[in-house]
Formats: sequence, structure tokens, C-alpha cells
Amino acid sequence: MGEMGGGILLPPNVRTLPPLRTELAVRLRHRVGALVIDVDFKLNERWAVLFGPSGSGKTTILKAIAGLLRPDEAHIACTVLTGSDLERTFVFVDTETGCFLPAYKRVVRLAPQQSALFPHLSIFENMMYGFHEMVRDEREKKARSNKIEKLLSDFQIAHLLDKYPAALSGGEAQRVNLARAVAATGCRLLMLDEPFSGLDVKLRDELIANLRERQEQRRMPVLSVTHDVAEAFQLGAEVIKIAEGKVVEQGPVEVVLAEERKRLLAQLGNSTSQNRDVERPI
Amino acid sequence: MDTQALWLTLRLALTTTALLLAIALPVAWWIASGTGAARALVQAVVALPLVLPPTVLGFYLLVALGPLTAPGRLIIRLLGHPLAFSFSGLVVGSVLYSLPFAVQPLVAGFRAVDTALLEVAATLGASPARAFRTITLPLARPSLVTAAVLTFTHTVGEFGVVLMLGGNIPGATRTLSIALYDQVQDFNYAAANRTAALLLAFSLATLIVVYWRGAERRSVLG
Repeated sequence: MGEMGGGILLPPNVRTLPPLRTELAVRLRHRVGALVIDVDFKLNERWAVLFGPSGSGKTTILKAIAGLLRPDEAHIACTVLTGSDLERTFVFVDTETGCFLPAYKRVVRLAPQQSALFPHLSIFENMMYGFHEMVRDEREKKARSNKIEKLLSDFQIAHLLDKYPAALSGGEAQRVNLARAVAATGCRLLMLDEPFSGLDVKLRDELIANLRERQEQRRMPVLSVTHDVAEAFQLGAEVIKIAEGKVVEQGPVEVVLAEERKRLLAQLGNSTSQNRDVERPI
Repeated sequence: MDTQALWLTLRLALTTTALLLAIALPVAWWIASGTGAARALVQAVVALPLVLPPTVLGFYLLVALGPLTAPGRLIIRLLGHPLAFSFSGLVVGSVLYSLPFAVQPLVAGFRAVDTALLEVAATLGASPARAFRTITLPLARPSLVTAAVLTFTHTVGEFGVVLMLGGNIPGATRTLSIALYDQVQDFNYAAANRTAALLLAFSLATLIVVYWRGAERRSVLG
């Protein structure tokens, strides 16, 4: 209690304490070619899934939240509650007031769908890129590299540490791409664009379990994108269903994707172990 | 062999290359980082020395740096002598004359860097300056080398600008290409032959190195 008592006079270090609650409010109108994206939704520290067919504007929504594009009209803000009375709101973008926080100041991590590893840096250096402050302290350095080694071994790519991106297979690069976003210092929101596509089901399930654990520990909101019904169920997540740039429905996966699940089961036909098959489409 | 002219030429080329890289880096980065009329204008101005007769550039510089214009008079007052017909004047002329040879490879190099990498760098918290230093610059390093080599060799080979702006002062403005011209005027064909052979061998050797490196890089990247 004595330690916590000091926190009232001196606010606890916002970076090291996981937030009690995080909320992200997104209101976005943006035109990309013929598609008009017009969405309005809120996220909390749970895992949310943007679900929709390709071309429905999911990636554009992620980019707008990350600050990688200037939306036509938007209000995107992140509210972080770190203590009972310490609430801070970070306005990412507000087109009415002309406020635009550049991507690098948002502390929002985005693992893009196409792995984008820095080709001139080793996997270890790629993983270190998200730690901006240089540290001279040897213990701190060791702690960082331990953290990275742990993360890579959780993702079953520890053996790649000293390799360069050109030597990696597509699946390996995809996992480094994910791990790098997870490793970065501080994170108000983690966004994963089709993170598990192309990975085999067993590995996918292990990655999901690991990421969920980390997400709960750090109490950070995660927003991932998928068009895979089974993946959404596996995540047991809040689903935001998108079609042609609009939010069709938002809610628990069992409710929002009930139709899709039924259709998938029908496709699978007279299977006996239905539950397992839901997770293994086709 | 006119060793004085040789050393002067090398000194001019080195100074020009160093100065020009410092100028060309931010200019090229700015041009490569977007589109629009302003960038098109700057690119056109930068490319002008490619199509303009060097004597035209030399003439304008001679006038601009001389006592006929306000900037020229200011320079004369500051330095105590005009920039024209001095080594510093030659450096100014060479920097302008070789501008496209430094800027254009850099623009191409910066544009070739995948924007997805810069986007990832931003979402990992890297400021544009850090992303430039740690991602763009290392990935564009071959074009940096190309820009430096081309600037250097182009400066070694320049003639028109030097003649107009620098005249022919031994030790100050008399470069190898001017020396060659003098030697021919004196019917000293043996000396002219040596100077010409030196310039030819130097230019050919540099170009071979540039293309060799380029080919190796391409074959490494597949």
C-alpha cells in the first residue's frame, strides 16, 4: 500500500503500468475510388475483429486509425484510464478542428497484411526497431533482448534471430511481422491485418492463445482483420461486420456471425464433430 | 603532364562532390516525397544543366557573380574580390552544373524505397527523420554512391563553365580539360595526348566500376 500511496502525489509511470481501461472511438468517412467508407464504432480493451469480404474497406479503416492516411472526415480518439482518476484522451484525428496526430506519435502498432520487414536489418534488429529510446544500461539492454527472444520463441521463430529477411519463408516473415508489432514499447492499440492467413491451423491457434494472453496482461485493445469465420470464432471476439464500407452489425461473434456459421456447417455436410470442424473450414 | 592542373581538377571535383551531396540529399528527398507543380518546377530547374549549353550557364554565372548585379556586388564586398576567375567561383559553377547528376539518382533511389517500410517504421514510433536515417538512406545507399561518382567524374570533365567563369589561371582555375585545350592551341600534341588519355582512362574506369556494382547488386537481389 505504501508504494501505491506515493502514486497519488506522483502519478505512476504511465508507460510501465498497464491501463485499467482503454477506449477507442472511431468515426470515419473516407472515399477510396468508388468505395465510400462510412463507419462509426467503439472499441475497448477486448479483442475486436473487423470482419468482411475483401474490398470492403477494412485495411483503409486500419490505416486511418494508424495515421497512415488523411481521412476526408473523421474523429478518432483514444481514451486511456491508468488510475482511478487518471484519464487521458488522445485525439488522433479530428477533421473539424484540423487536428492530425502523425502516425509515429499515436503509439498504435499495425502489422500490415503484406509482411514489410526492413531488408537491410537482421531479424533481431527488425524486432528492436520499436524500442526508440537508446539504452546504455547493460541490464536494460539484456532485458530487451530477453523479451525479444521470449517473444520469438513463443512464435516458434527463435532460430531466425540472426538471419536477414531475404532468407525467410513467407510464413516466417509473417510471424516476424506480427512479433515486431507486438514487441514495440508501449501500445495503446494493436492492429493486425489478416495476421494468420496462410498459417496452418495448429500454429494459428497457438499464436492466438499467446497473443490473447499478452493482450489480457497488457490490457490493450486489439483490432484484427479477417474474412475467415472460423478465425473469428476461435478468437471469441467482438465482431464488427463490414460490407461495402459500412458497419452492418457489431456484437459478440456468436450473434453477428451466426448466419455465416450455419452456412459453413451446411457446407461441411454431415460431419459428426462439428465444433472441431468450425475451426477447420474446407 | 600538367600536375598542377591535375591536382586542381581533383580538388575541385572533391569539393564539388562533398558540397553537392549535402545540397542534393534534402532536395532529392523533398522531390521524392510527393507530387505537384512545385516539385515539377524544382525538378525542371535541377535538370536544366543537362540540356543547357555549359557556356550559357557559365555566362549567366559570370554576370550574376560579377559587379553588375546586387548579389555579385555583395559577394565582392564580403570577399574583397569577385567570385569569377577564382577557385571558389569554379566550385559554385560546378555545383550548379553537376546538380542533376547528384539529384536525379538520389530521387530515383528514394522513390524505389517501398513506402510500406516507411509506414511500418511510423507505426513503430519512428519520426520521419529517424525513418529517413535508418530506412531510406541505407536502402538508397547504391544511389548515393552513384550520385557521388557521377558528380565527381562530371566535374572532372567540365569545360564550358570553367572556361566562361574561371578563365585560365594556372593553380586557380586551370583544370585538366582547359590544360588540354591549351596544349592543342600550342600544337603540343604529345602533351595533349597524355592529358586526353588520362581523362579518358579515368572516366572509363569510373563508369566500369559504377556499372559493375550495379550489376552485382541486381544479381544479389535477384
